[in-house]
Amino acid sequence: MKKTRKRLFAYDNVGILFVLPAFVYMLVFVGYPIVRNIVLSFQDVTVRTLTKPDKPFAGLQNYIDIFQDPVFIRSLLNTLIFTVCCLVFQFIIGFLLALFFNQNFKTSKVVRGLLLIPWMIPITVTALIFKFIFGTDVGILNYALQSLGLIKENIDWLTSTNTAMFALICANVWIGIPFNMILISTGLTTIPTELYESAALDGAGKVQTFFKITLPLLRPTIESVLILGFIYTFKVYDLVYVMTSGGPVNSTHMLSTYSYKLSFELFKYSKGAAVANVLLVILLIVGVFYLRATKEENE
Amino acid sequence: MGGEKKITGKKNVILSILSVVLLCVLLFPLFWILMTSLKTEQEIFRIPPTIIPEKLNLASYAAQVETGDFNMFQSFANSFIISIGATLISVILAVPASYGIAKYRFRGRKVMLLGFLVTQMLPVAVLLTPMFILFRGMNLYNTPGAAILADATIGIPFSILILKNYFASIPRDLEEAAYIDGCNRFSAFIRVLIPIAKPGVMVCAIFSFLYAWGDLAYGMTFIIDQQKRPITAGIFNFMGQYGTKWSYLTAFAVVTIIPVALIFIFMQKYIISGMTSGAVKG
Repeated sequence: MKKTRKRLFAYDNVGILFVLPAFVYMLVFVGYPIVRNIVLSFQDVTVRTLTKPDKPFAGLQNYIDIFQDPVFIRSLLNTLIFTVCCLVFQFIIGFLLALFFNQNFKTSKVVRGLLLIPWMIPITVTALIFKFIFGTDVGILNYALQSLGLIKENIDWLTSTNTAMFALICANVWIGIPFNMILISTGLTTIPTELYESAALDGAGKVQTFFKITLPLLRPTIESVLILGFIYTFKVYDLVYVMTSGGPVNSTHMLSTYSYKLSFELFKYSKGAAVANVLLVILLIVGVFYLRATKEENE
Repeated sequence: MGGEKKITGKKNVILSILSVVLLCVLLFPLFWILMTSLKTEQEIFRIPPTIIPEKLNLASYAAQVETGDFNMFQSFANSFIISIGATLISVILAVPASYGIAKYRFRGRKVMLLGFLVTQMLPVAVLLTPMFILFRGMNLYNTPGAAILADATIGIPFSILILKNYFASIPRDLEEAAYIDGCNRFSAFIRVLIPIAKPGVMVCAIFSFLYAWGDLAYGMTFIIDQQKRPITAGIFNFMGQYGTKWSYLTAFAVVTIIPVALIFIFMQKYIISGMTSGAVKG
């Protein structure tokens, strides 16, 4: 036995052959594009020069330009506001649902399973559904609010600058709840029941048990849920593009949708690339925290 | 709170009813578009709205078969081909890669692993323009191939990170027993290890499929002809042109959800397993 083990170890470098195809694939279709995008952001590329080999060098001009562009600043702030609001609501609702379904009653497992569906639906469809619900004349939300006497006239949710962001956040929270719920549920199952039993013996109340046992022991789970949630929410694209396309009057542009607009609607490829790189840098900074949190797991 | 103790009696009934109420509230949007897709256009705009269609109207589905430009069944087929293609590439590349990472300590292993982790976090906006240039150079622009290759870049890193845990949990002894039986590294991998990791491979296949099925950005940017575009891009275009034709739009949405619903019904356990392994969507 011992001999085989040693032999295996000596041939460890064979392992690279298994990984290489996937790695090369990712280098070609992701690694190269990233580098290309960085280069692009330091050039001045238009439709005419897009496929030509010689592209004029622009230095930092694109970055200087975008930071003086009010729509970019607005998009950056929008992305932050959107992300923070979504995280807060989806985390709280997801957490409450996880606690609720952690009780072992008849329908707990089945219903919790069904609640995952919103997360799996293609985001384009989710966007369409919420566009329908938030519709001015056709939307059921306006009808419900009217019949409850909360509003007198229909609200133009998606076409008014004050409310469009709210509609987007609602839609995204709907997608995010299952993700938060299931990860926290899994975290809850790792807490040994004996801890709760001895806490009960010591006369600890439910609230006290929650803050003294559940919350501290869930900390690693909570960290990774929030960091992953941040990454996923911050790069939001499809939802906003389909529901509002950044409108009305740029009030809901996110970094991703604004970058898309610059590149594929206005054909300012280099400015679009610069915006995308700002988005990338922010995500990478947050990503470092994620890597640190999961370091042991991926050793 | 412990979660282990079974709740019985009156409390059980109350909690069960409460959970069903929660379910109805949270899944109402899905119920609502299904009902809307079965109504006539006039009924959709009626006030007060009807919950269940007064008269079952299947015309929104039937009409799609005939219309040329936004034939949703053509888009459905396009999406299916793209998603299957992306799933195949993801699984074929990710299975050996995750095995290599889990079982061998070669030089550069950590860098590669880090690379896969980072690609999971990338925003699509960073990749669109350079991929667009790349696919034009490869003569793949405006073909399903472009969307397939691009969608696989989402499935591969996810699959590797999931599967490496499956392979790592397989004891060395099993592999060694295969060597003693006359297998070499590659045949042991194929005959012994892959069958054991099968549930993990299923998770990867399902998520790679779902990622590709839900993609809008790649399909829309790299494929220009409506007849070749995936169903998500079809919906988006349709919204742009017939923005308020909600009977058709909701029918389109329902058809897009069908494969997702089927996957959910038959493979729920794999989905929970995939989600809890830290899946970042999109």
